[in-house]
Order: sequence, then C-alpha cells, then structure tokens
Amino acid sequence: MLETSLASLELDNPVLSASGTFGSGWEGRQFSDLGHVGALVSKTVTLLPRPGNPPPRIWETPSGMLNSIGLENKGVDYFVRETLPKMRELAASGRKDGRHGPRIVINIGGESIDDFVALAERFCREGVHALEVNLSCPNVQEGKLLFSTDPRLAEQAVRAVKKVADVPVFAKLSPNVTDIVAIAKGAEQGGADGLTAINTLIGMAIDWRKRKTILGRGIGGLSGPAIKPVALRMVYQLAAAVRLPIIGVGGVRSADDVLDFVCAGAAAVQVGTAMFTDPALMVCIVDEIRDKLAAAGTTIGDLRGAAHRQAHQPSGSCAR
Amino acid sequence: MQTKVHKLLRRRDLGGGSYALEVEGPIPSTQPGQFYMLRTERCWPVQLPRPFSLYDRAPDGSWGSFLVKPVGEGTRALCDQQPGEGIVCTGPLGQPFPRDFADPVCIAGGVGLAPFLLLARQAKAQGRTLRLLFGGRTREMLSGIDDFAGLVRMHASTDDGSFGFRGRVTALLDDMLQKGEVKAGEIVFCCGPDPMMEAVAALCEPRGLRCFLSLETYMACGYGVCNGCTVRVQGPRFKGWPFSRTCMEGPVYEACELVHDAH
Ligand SMILES: Cc1cc2nc3c(=O)[nH]c(=O)nc-3n(C[C@H](O)[C@H](O)[C@H](O)COP(=O)(O)OP(=O)(O)OC[C@H]3O[C@@H](n4cnc5c(N)ncnc54)[C@H](O)[C@@H]3O)c2cc1C
Ligand SMILES: Cc1cc2nc3c(=O)[nH]c(=O)nc-3n(C[C@H](O)[C@H](O)[C@H](O)COP(=O)(O)O)c2cc1C
Ligand code: FES
Repeated sequence: MLETSLASLELDNPVLSASGTFGSGWEGRQFSDLGHVGALVSKTVTLLPRPGNPPPRIWETPSGMLNSIGLENKGVDYFVRETLPKMRELAASGRKDGRHGPRIVINIGGESIDDFVALAERFCREGVHALEVNLSCPNVQEGKLLFSTDPRLAEQAVRAVKKVADVPVFAKLSPNVTDIVAIAKGAEQGGADGLTAINTLIGMAIDWRKRKTILGRGIGGLSGPAIKPVALRMVYQLAAAVRLPIIGVGGVRSADDVLDFVCAGAAAVQVGTAMFTDPALMVCIVDEIRDKLAAAGTTIGDLRGAAHRQAHQPSGSCAR
Repeated sequence: MQTKVHKLLRRRDLGGGSYALEVEGPIPSTQPGQFYMLRTERCWPVQLPRPFSLYDRAPDGSWGSFLVKPVGEGTRALCDQQPGEGIVCTGPLGQPFPRDFADPVCIAGGVGLAPFLLLARQAKAQGRTLRLLFGGRTREMLSGIDDFAGLVRMHASTDDGSFGFRGRVTALLDDMLQKGEVKAGEIVFCCGPDPMMEAVAALCEPRGLRCFLSLETYMACGYGVCNGCTVRVQGPRFKGWPFSRTCMEGPVYEACELVHDAH
C-alpha cells in the first residue's frame, strides 16, 4: 500500500537513503532489515578518486550539523569493484514476497559534462536502477561555476546524461541559489525524470577563542532538522512549477516528516543526517508511515500535494 | 553490532566529576578499545549520539558500563539520567587495541582511562598484570582509579603531587624511561587528551618504543557512513589513501601512522 513510482521506477515505498549519509547501505546492514527500504542511494561517485577535504569535517549545530566531506570517494573503478556488489546483495535480500526490494540509485558527481557522461554510461552498463545527478557540490573547490547554480549548465548536464542513460535520471538540486525553480526548469528541459531537493545549505562555524573557522575547509553544508522548513518550501515551490516527480530531502527524522513532504508534493523522501542518530531509522519510518496512514484513514496518494489544494494558497514566490 | 535501548541500572560517582553509567545488558562481546555511540532515549538535547569506550562488562554481558565525564550538553544529559531511564547504545564499533602484544605499557589521562579496565581484566584472566600510568591534576581527578585496585601495577601521577608522582603523566613516563623501568622495544598503549598523546608519542618514538594511540575524534555516525571522523594518515594499512575513518579503522592508530594537519 506504500508503493510509489518515480517516473518508470517502481518502489516498494517512498523512503530512500540520502546520498552520502548511509554509505552504500552495507555499513548499516546489521541494524535493520534494509530489504524494506524503497531505495538505497549511494554516496556521490566521481570518475577519479577524491581524497576529500582536510579535517575537521563535521560540526554539530543547533538542530543540525555542518559537513565538508568534499566528496571523498575512491572513484568509479573501486566503487564498481568493491561497493556495487554489496549494494546488489542488499537489493537482492529484499526482492521477495512480491516486493521489488531496495532499488539501487547511484549518485554521480562530475567536474565536466564528459565526467557525467562517462559515469552514466558505466553505471548503466552495470545495470543500476536509476541515476541521481549531483548538480550541487558545495564542498568542491574545482568546479568554479556549479552546475547547480545555472539553469543552462544544469540542462546541459542532465541532457548529456539522459542521452546515454537507459534508466531514470534524477537531478539533485542545490538550495544555494536565488531561484531553485529556474534551475529545476533547466533540468526539466534537459529531460530529467525527476528532481531531488535539496542538498545542504552552505554555512560556517567559527571558534572566536581560536579566531578561526572550525571546519578545515572553512565552509560546510548544513543539514538536519534545521533545514526541513527550507526543504519543504522548496519542494512545495517545485511541485507547483514542474511536472516531474520530486524526491524531498532535508531534515527528515520521522514518518510525520515524510508525510509533510508528501503533502508539499513529494513522491518520495530521503532520510539523511537522521541516520547518524539512529542507524535503524529508515525501516522504522516505513512501518510508522503504514500505521499513521491507517490511523488517519488516508493514503499516500490522497496526501500527495494536498497542501497545494488547501483553501488559502501559500504564496509560491519567495515574497512573504 | 546492534543498536538498542539499555536501562540505566546505576550511576556510580567516580569522583573528579566523572561517573560510571552502568546499563542493563545484553552487552555484546567487546574488545578493549572498541566504543559505542550513546544517547539518552528521551530528551536528548543534541542531534548526534556521542562516542564512549566500553568501560566495563559482566563476563556474561548481563551489564556493561561507560565512564562519562560531563563536558558538554550530551555528556551532561547522559550523566543526568536516573536509574530506570533508557540509554540508546550502538556498538561495538571500531577496532580494538592490537592483540599481539602481551605486556603493553598503558598510559591514560582523564577519561582516557576508560578502555584500560577491560584490557586489564583480559590480561589478568591470562595471568598477567599490566602496568598502567595514569595522570590527573589532583588525587580527586584520578576518576576510576579505585576500580583498578589489584588489577594493574598502577603508576599514578598528579600535577600537585597529592598522589603518586608529582607532575604530568608524560613526566612520569620520561622518569621511568630514564630509570630503565620502561625500555626500548616495549609497546605503549595510550588514551587521553590529544596534547598528552602527542607528548607520549614524542617521548616513545625516538627511544624505539612502538606507540598505539586511541583517538577521541569528533564523530557523527560512528559506523562508517558519514566520512566525517577522518584523520590524515600514512602507511601500508591505508594503501596510499591519505585519510582514515576513526570509527572504522580506528580509534586506535599507531603513532607513526598519523599525519598532523595544519588547521
Ligand atoms: C572513540 C571515542 C571514545 C571516547 N570515550 C570516552 C569515554 O570513555 N568517556 C568520556 O567521558 N568521553 C569519551 N570520549 C569523548 C566524548 O565522546 C566527548 O566528550 C563527547 O562527545 C562530548 O559530547 P558533549 O555533547 O558533552 O560535548 P560537546 O558539546 O559536543 O563538546 C564540549 C566541548 O568539547 C569539545 N569536544 C567534544 N567532543 C570532542 C572531540 N571528540 N574532540 C575534540 N573536541 C571535542 C567541543 O569542541 C566542546 O568545546 C570518547 C570519544 C571517542 C571518539
Ligand atoms: C555527511 C554528509 C555527506 C553528504 N554527502 C553527499 C554526497 O556525497 N552527495 C550528495 O548529493 N549529497 C550529500 N549530502 C547531502 C544529503 O544527501 C542531503 O541532501 C542533505 O544532507 C539534506 O538532508 P538531511 O537533512 O536529511 O541530511 C551529504 C550530507 C551529509 C550530512
Ligand atoms: S563517524 Fe561517520 S564515518 Fe566515522
């Protein structure tokens, strides 16, 4: 009863892991039966190995945290050899009793269009279920103009990936822009099959006693409950403006949070930072959603976008 | 590895502001140096759980304890728990102290004492009595020292000389090195504040003692998924990769594996 679909990708339920916050899923397999989550989204994979940013890389803030991991990963060859088989094993473990099991979504990060294309080709050959294009790499120094900050660049990246991909392609958007709808329209033009919103908000922490920034890189991405209102607002705006399915992400830690996103128009939801607090959370949320919907006598389908149908329409623009 | 709510059985005051939080089992079999991520079940005032070494464990796992010193919101909330309340424990996590050395010299500062109780018990069960150098500012600050009575050969140090050697634990180590009580070729296991561990490593390495440090790095997940706890490393164990996750390959590193960052 929680089945949902993202373009042509059918999911057992709308609860996914967020990229970079649950590894490949393998590290957390002992804490719960991951066969019951909708999809496992990999940490961003890049073509070449990336050592990442200097430590310290994380700092807790009120109701959230900052991170500047810098997309540390050992590159696509290592990933395909060592990590993907483990994701396949997890996926297979859930493929029974008429269920699809967790879908494998690979988040790819490129420093050029060519990088994105090479990664997409490689992963489609490997038979993954979907690609998530990380347009927003707020921690990465190289890419001077981010794909996520320019509608034309977003469109080009997505179009190039779509050209070679035979699986659904989701564009992951950054909130660090003046108008996220403009970027989303670029991705839609490029042929995206869905949008993931949002990545982290750029922030900073300073220790005045040491007279310096706390993170080694200086800046970092803010995540956790602190950003949920921002993410909800953006998902709401996107749902009103584009026709693509939206994967909501930002500060989710309960079934209530998931259903809030569904009301804003999300077709599925990712759980990120909250997995650090409770490594079994995703599976608990899936069960909890079932109970809450039953208790309220409603369904995901009924709730989807419900906030857009309320009597007093919230302003879709940024003006209050 | 598991994540479970454990009932707090007792909060034992260890003096010096630290407590032993004794929780109901089952506590999985845990090697000295491994840790758990802890948070209170209710009213956890922060987001992320906090890492703590397992301090003690019943041989049958029916209870376990953590040595906690309140230094911030999370540790304070844990120490404010009343018996009967729940503590969520995830673990055991990380790699223990290496098991190939029979008679390491153990050096602890402050709450860095925590991993050594299990190590001392393990050694004792095999008929060995470890040497433990334990330093604090005053006698009162040697929280937990009484739990080691009869288990180790204790060499305590206090800055004010109120108990044992007068001076830092590093000065005590230096003294023992000079007297030949600790010698080249020996193995050192150390856990404490960063400056202390750096000083211990600086004393040991030029004198030909291998030194293993248990780091207290800031962590988010504790189980390897965030890549937030990394330290800069070198050496064959890391196959050329410049970073290591303290919660997975650590928290114990050989001193020569660690590369110090400028920040
Ligand atoms: C593997 C491991 C084992 C540990 N074992 C024990 C133990 O057995 N007993 C014990 O009492 N403590 C132990 N610690 C330390 C303990 O985890 C921290 O004291 C705790 O996380 C502080 O949380 P808080 O919310 O109380 O303080 P916070 O509010 O998070 O911090 C209080 C102050 O301490 C600083 N701080 C906090 N954590 C760290 C850190 N890891 N590194 C550098 N600075 C930090 C903060 O900058 C802040 O100034 C261990 C840490 C690790 C990584
Ligand atoms: C430690 C950490 C690492 C992350 N790494 C990635 C990443 O590699 N790729 C990516 O697209 N997003 C990454 N993100 C962003 C999350 O996927 C998510 O968009 C964001 O954290 C908001 O969700 P949350 O509040 O539930 O964490 C990371 C977030 C965190 C906290
Ligand atoms: S604390 Fe998350 S990877 Fe180590």
